[in-house]
Order: sequence, then structure tokens, then C-alpha cells
Amino acid sequence: MISAEHAITRFRRDMAMGMAARALLLAGAVAGVFVSGMRVSNANTIGTIILTVVMVVWFLLSHRSARRSRQVADSTSLIAAGRFDEAEKEIEQVLTGFSLLKAVKLIGLHHLAMLRHAEKRYKDAAELCKTLLNQRLGAMANIARPTKLIMADALLETGDLQGAYAALSGLYAERLSLGEAMRLQVIQLDYMSRINAWEPMLASLATKVQLAEIMPAHASARAQALLALAARKAGRSDWEAWLRARAELLAESAQLCAERPVLAELWPLPETA
Amino acid sequence: MEPAAPQFLDVQRLLERSLVRPRANFMPLILAAVVLVMLLVGQFAAEAVNLGSSVEMIVKLVLMFALVLGFSSLSYWTVRNFQTQQKLLQSIDELMQLRRWPEAAVTVEQLLSQPSRLPQIRVQGLVYLGGVLARYHRYQDTIDVYDHVLDHFQLDAGTDLGLRTARAMAMLQEDHLFDADRAISELRRHPAASGSAGLALVEIYRHVKTGHMQDAIDQFQLQRVAIRTQLGHRLGDAYALIARAHDVLLNSTEAQLAYTSATRLQSEDELQRRYAEVGKLAGRYQPAISPAEVA
Repeated sequence: MISAEHAITRFRRDMAMGMAARALLLAGAVAGVFVSGMRVSNANTIGTIILTVVMVVWFLLSHRSARRSRQVADSTSLIAAGRFDEAEKEIEQVLTGFSLLKAVKLIGLHHLAMLRHAEKRYKDAAELCKTLLNQRLGAMANIARPTKLIMADALLETGDLQGAYAALSGLYAERLSLGEAMRLQVIQLDYMSRINAWEPMLASLATKVQLAEIMPAHASARAQALLALAARKAGRSDWEAWLRARAELLAESAQLCAERPVLAELWPLPETA
Repeated sequence: MEPAAPQFLDVQRLLERSLVRPRANFMPLILAAVVLVMLLVGQFAAEAVNLGSSVEMIVKLVLMFALVLGFSSLSYWTVRNFQTQQKLLQSIDELMQLRRWPEAAVTVEQLLSQPSRLPQIRVQGLVYLGGVLARYHRYQDTIDVYDHVLDHFQLDAGTDLGLRTARAMAMLQEDHLFDADRAISELRRHPAASGSAGLALVEIYRHVKTGHMQDAIDQFQLQRVAIRTQLGHRLGDAYALIARAHDVLLNSTEAQLAYTSATRLQSEDELQRRYAEVGKLAGRYQPAISPAEVA
């Protein structure tokens, strides 16, 4: 298993190597042009050979990088299916192999963060996300949103509320996909319950409930249980009863309380004699 | 006489139009072209010494940049086409989750009316097409689409199971009980079938359809946790079918309890639309009403 620290070191080194390789190829191309323009014997042939070699190497490396990029794309479905060992192997190959394209390394690191988050190794996931977000993403800016979501959740799990807020606040102004909006809602409710922002949790309640209905079972149960708790705190007993009953149908209340002890207020343990 | 207007979501037409156009591997050709062009330029420059070194340099630079630009444009165009189809797929997925069926249908039609860039895109598009057709109660078309995908593509075990399950459900809806029974028997032997909530739901529905109400109730009690974990709010479907089973067995208290749970998770209208059998419970049992509806 690659440690987060090792992956980050390797990622930085490979990014520098990729940049150096691109600069070298460019310098080679320029040198080829200048050599062919020199007024010495065979200059033209030598210059042409240099240029040809540069172009061929560039095409081959780009082609290989594109293949790696397709390979790393497979790891998402492996993570979703819970096949973590296979995903680890795919990602490791991408992260340890050379790639001319910056995007391949960025996606590789992003997928490693996803994997560590799925494995509940939240500290590692947060570190990897932080490294990724500190890069200039350029054309890969679209991975910033899912990375921020993973980071916010990982930081919440490690109890870093300030860090989670910073990651979340960057997302409000962005246009999110449905999946991202669902994840954001769960993380946001979790965060707000930790800072006792009960009233704001109930803003646009009907929309939040509709969104919770299409989430996976456990996320849906947690979201609706947190909303039930907010309704209880705000004295809206009709909503509290409705949402609590739905959460009970979708998950075991004991498990919900074990994961988020604040929810024990909805399902108090019977007093022992 | 004017030709008949094409049918919306015409399965045969979409199956034909969405075929992946075979693409040649251009990489060796491009490499050969690069080498050839560079050699020709070298030769040209060597012969045209009288033009002077600066002209040679300019010609070489222009050709080199033209090659790079041409190759980049080709890559950009290919990637953009691929991304457009990927975005359409994502959009269909979101529309279906949000139950915006007319828009989902239009987008599926748009995606499958052109050659797919990759076989995976075509498969996913056809799976969505099956889902949309089932929503419009065109179950025979749904079965045809799923048969096509299962016959023509090598799928991973999970996707294969999901498709076969959805096909069995469509067979039940279409009252092809014999075919459905055979399909369910095959599903039970499927390598990924162990603990499948989809299969459990199909079996419960089959029991309700064929009047084996106690079997439906027993199956539900055995598989409730799996259905809940894997299907989330669709657990409401199973509760609704169990309410019907209890109703037939004249257990009105249990039927009411199950109907309340069902309508707490899914709207009554949606459940009745999905299962004709659940429609028979309407007005006889009290649905759970959300505070939003009360307001």
C-alpha cells in the first residue's frame, strides 16, 4: 500500500520530471531548427534528424500517457464496487510510472484520495486532497470540486471544523452535478449539526428532503435523521416525527447514533433501573 | 401519401443509429507522416541552399508547428466528441434520478441517434433507454433493448445481474409469467446473485403476481435489510407489495402498517403507477402524509 506521504513525494517528483521532459523536448526541437540553419556541412541532415527524433518521442510519450489516463479511469468503478486492492494496484501503476501529461498524475492522486476516503483513512485522504488543490490544475479544474468534497468530509471526520468550513465555502458558488450536490448536502448537514446551526439546517427543507430521497440508503438515513434533529430543536414536531420514522425505515437507529452521537437525542436509550 | 412520422424512442432505429463506428488506429500513420515530412523538409532545404539559412529555418518552423497544431486539433476534436457524449450520459442519469422522464427520454433519443464514440457509452445509453421505456410502460421494448445488450456485449457480473433483473421485472409487468419464471431461475444461479436486493424485489413481485402471498411475506422478512441497504427509498416498493399480500390474506392491520411504511418512503401515486396490484389498495388504506403535503 502506498502511504500518503510517499505518494505525495513521488507525485511532486514526477510532476517536476514531466515538466523537465517537456522542456527538454521543446529545447531539442528549437536546437534542431537552429542546427539545420547553420552554415556547416551536414547541418541540415543533423537538424532534421534531431527534429524527427524529438517529434517521434513526443508522440510516443503522449500516446502512452493517454493510455495511462484510460487505465486510471477504471479505478473509480473498482472503488465504487469496494474492490480496494484492485483499485490500489491500478492507481499505483499510474502514480509510479512516467507520464508526459500532467493530467494523468493529477487524476491518479485524486483517485488515491478517493480510495483512502473510501477506506476511512481520513487523515491520508485530507493530506492528498490538500496537495492536489495546491497545484495549478489548469484544464483539470473540474477535479477541484470532488476533491474539495472529499477533503471537507475527511476533515469533518477528523474533527477539523475550520478546515471543513474552508473546503465547503469554496463550493457554494460553483455549479455542482447532482451527485456532488447530494454529497455536499450530507456534509453540510453534518457540519451544521456540529456547530448547532439548527435553524439554517431547515432552510429549503422540502428540497433537502427530496434530495435525500435519491441518496444511497445510509447517506439518506443520516441526512434525514440530522434534519429530524434540527426540526426537534426548532420545535417542528410534525417534521421531526416524519423524518425520524423515515430514517428508522432506512437504517438501524443504533448504528446512526454510534456514528453520530448527537442523534441519540432522537432515540434516547430506555432508562435502566 | 406522406410517410408515417417516426415513433418516439423507436428501439430498432436507435439500436442501428447508435452503433459504434469502427475507427482505425492512426498512430503508426501519424508517426510515419511526421518522419516523412521531416525528411522531405530536410531534402528540400538541402537542395534549396540558394534560398539562405533563414528561409530554411522559417519553412521548418512553420511545418513543425503545423504538424503539432494538426495533431493537437485532431486530439481535441476526438476528446470533445467523447466528452459531449459523456455529458449526455451524465445528464440522462441525473434526469432519471430526478424523475424528469420527458427530458430524460429526449436526451436518450439525442444520444442514441448518432454513432457512439465507445461501446461503453452505447451500452450505458441503451441501459438508460430500457429504464425510460419501462417508465412509459413499454415493457416489450424494454425487454428487446435488454436482450440486445445481453446478447451483444460482455458485461461485468454486477451490470449483467442488474440488467437481467430489470428484464425479469419487465417480463412480470408484461405478464410473461413463464418467461419471467425461467429468467428468475437463471438469476438465482448467477455468480453475483447472492444477497441481491433487486432479485429479492422481483421474486416478491412474482409471488404477489402469482398469488403466493405468504411466500412474498416470508421473502420480504428474509431480505428486508438487503433491500433497504441496496435500494434505499425503493424499499417502499417492497412494503407496498407486502401490503397487497397482507390485504389478500385479509390481514388488514399488517396491510395498513406495510402501506404506511410504503407511502412514508414513496408517494402513493408513484407506487400505484409502478404496480397495478398496489392500485387496488388505494382508498382502502390510509397513506402516510408528509408535513409538506399537509401544509
